[in-house]
Amino acid sequence: MSSNLQLAHRKRAATKPQAVESVAGATMKAAAGAMIVLGAIAFVVALSRGRAAIAWEAYLVNLLFFLGVAQGAVVASSSFYLTQAKWGGSTPYRLGEAFAPFLWVGFFLFFGLYFGRSLIFPWVTHPIAQKAAWLNTPFLFARDGIALGAMAVASFAFIRVSRGDGARAWTIATDEIELPPHSIRVLAPVVAVLFAAVYSLIAFDLVMSLAPVWRSTLFGWYFFAGCFWSGVTAMALTAVVLRGRLGENNLFTNPTVMHDLGKMVFAFSVFWIYLLFAQYIVIWYGDLPVETFFIVQRVHHMPWSPLSVACVVLIWLIPFTLLMSVRAKKTPVILGTVSALGLAGMWLERYVLVVPSLSLDAIPFGATQFLISIGFLGVFLLSAVPGLNRVAQAATSGEPVGDDAE
Amino acid sequence: MSTIAIISSFADDTRCARAIEQLREAELGDFNTFSPIPSHKIEYAIGRSKSPVRWLVLAGGISGVLTGLAITIGTTYEWGLNAGGKPLVSWPPFIVICFELMVLLGGIFGFLGVLMLSGVPTTETAPGYDGRFGGDRFGIVVRCDEAQAERVESMLKESGAEEIVREDEAQPR
Repeated sequence: MSSNLQLAHRKRAATKPQAVESVAGATMKAAAGAMIVLGAIAFVVALSRGRAAIAWEAYLVNLLFFLGVAQGAVVASSSFYLTQAKWGGSTPYRLGEAFAPFLWVGFFLFFGLYFGRSLIFPWVTHPIAQKAAWLNTPFLFARDGIALGAMAVASFAFIRVSRGDGARAWTIATDEIELPPHSIRVLAPVVAVLFAAVYSLIAFDLVMSLAPVWRSTLFGWYFFAGCFWSGVTAMALTAVVLRGRLGENNLFTNPTVMHDLGKMVFAFSVFWIYLLFAQYIVIWYGDLPVETFFIVQRVHHMPWSPLSVACVVLIWLIPFTLLMSVRAKKTPVILGTVSALGLAGMWLERYVLVVPSLSLDAIPFGATQFLISIGFLGVFLLSAVPGLNRVAQAATSGEPVGDDAE
Repeated sequence: MSTIAIISSFADDTRCARAIEQLREAELGDFNTFSPIPSHKIEYAIGRSKSPVRWLVLAGGISGVLTGLAITIGTTYEWGLNAGGKPLVSWPPFIVICFELMVLLGGIFGFLGVLMLSGVPTTETAPGYDGRFGGDRFGIVVRCDEAQAERVESMLKESGAEEIVREDEAQPR
């Protein structure tokens, strides 16, 4: 079945190349630019009107979310090399690397937190004596800055090789080339392992330290598993959107490729709930006030309780039930809807992780936080433009797809 | 005109699946496939409807969850031990037991279902079976009219068959 599809795909693709500019071109750039301006205005207005805390909360939530999406997608691409995935030729790799420029943007935006540190980190104004050696401003910004910088450098070194001819030749060769180039076999595991270390650190420093007496050893894993899933989901959503925009000839019309993307969305949604439950059950059993309060604030305390439930519904329940069947994974409308809801759920999850630590009794979401989020989305989209064009090029190139597409 | 059997062997499942697709498209005779490993490619090529084993697994899984609930809720009521002031029936740890029993009974039901539906264990092998088809080769045995044998053989060869043997149906191997 797959060989027939590939043949048909190749034949169709040979006839008519697509204008890639139509995918991520001037309109998208203009829209993203307008979103950035709106977000920046909202941020400045909030700072000048004494609503700085609300603005910085939104800044942190969005920084964590969009960095997670961009980095998670790059790690997905590196994990495709680790598993020697050939189910979509070079396109899934380009898809994972599409959002990467945001890594550098996020690196610089991270240092912006320095100016809001007294409003975000409770331990800046009320230092905790026992933890002062770890939780102090210079050390936090130095270690996290170095970590995010190293992550961006490693990711771009990886992407550079991945986009090269050697790696590309391997992704589209069905049998002839056994292994990807040596450099990518070194860089892909480096990116994956560094991701686990750096995003654990980010989780501890930028989320857990907001409630500085709380601790959960598994929290780092939980956080970066969420980042990875949001990256995978963003890839699936992008694939569904591009499927409709690239005309008849694109790879995303191949149901086996959509099936594979759907499997990724399904699988790592289950992984997320697994880590959530693994933390929850240990904290529940231990029943230590110093551990339980973090959960109680979010699960049993109004107004946060329904939002926490919504996270579980959007990130696990909906993907798990709707994407269980093969047909659903192959139906772009279902996969796209689940992915869009999943991304919304992941954003909400970041919000529920961060904001109750700073504003327990009321949800500060309003025009300011909405517009700042829109601004971040604009930055993210703008930085994804060149990458999306590469995806479009790969998806319409008609290159052969590996035999193991199922 | 007599019916004959054509036995062909393949080195990999891709070629075998290709041959199956072509045989099905051409609608030439009736065929059996032998595979040493479970292969999705062959499964898709054959196009057989889904196995009813999954319903057995579902039934096993549901009975596992119910058993888990019965054991956990039943024993806590029976013993009435208060742990840390928590309610007697506290669901978080029960999830683990229900989940494990779901996997256990689902697995057992699935295993028994496979044995039952595939008629294993058996001492008889299907006609045309060759020891290599349980080793490192994939096989297709086509039963067709003698007149069509040429076409079938060329089709198999084109798909990448390594070896093609023609046999009278009357004398199976």
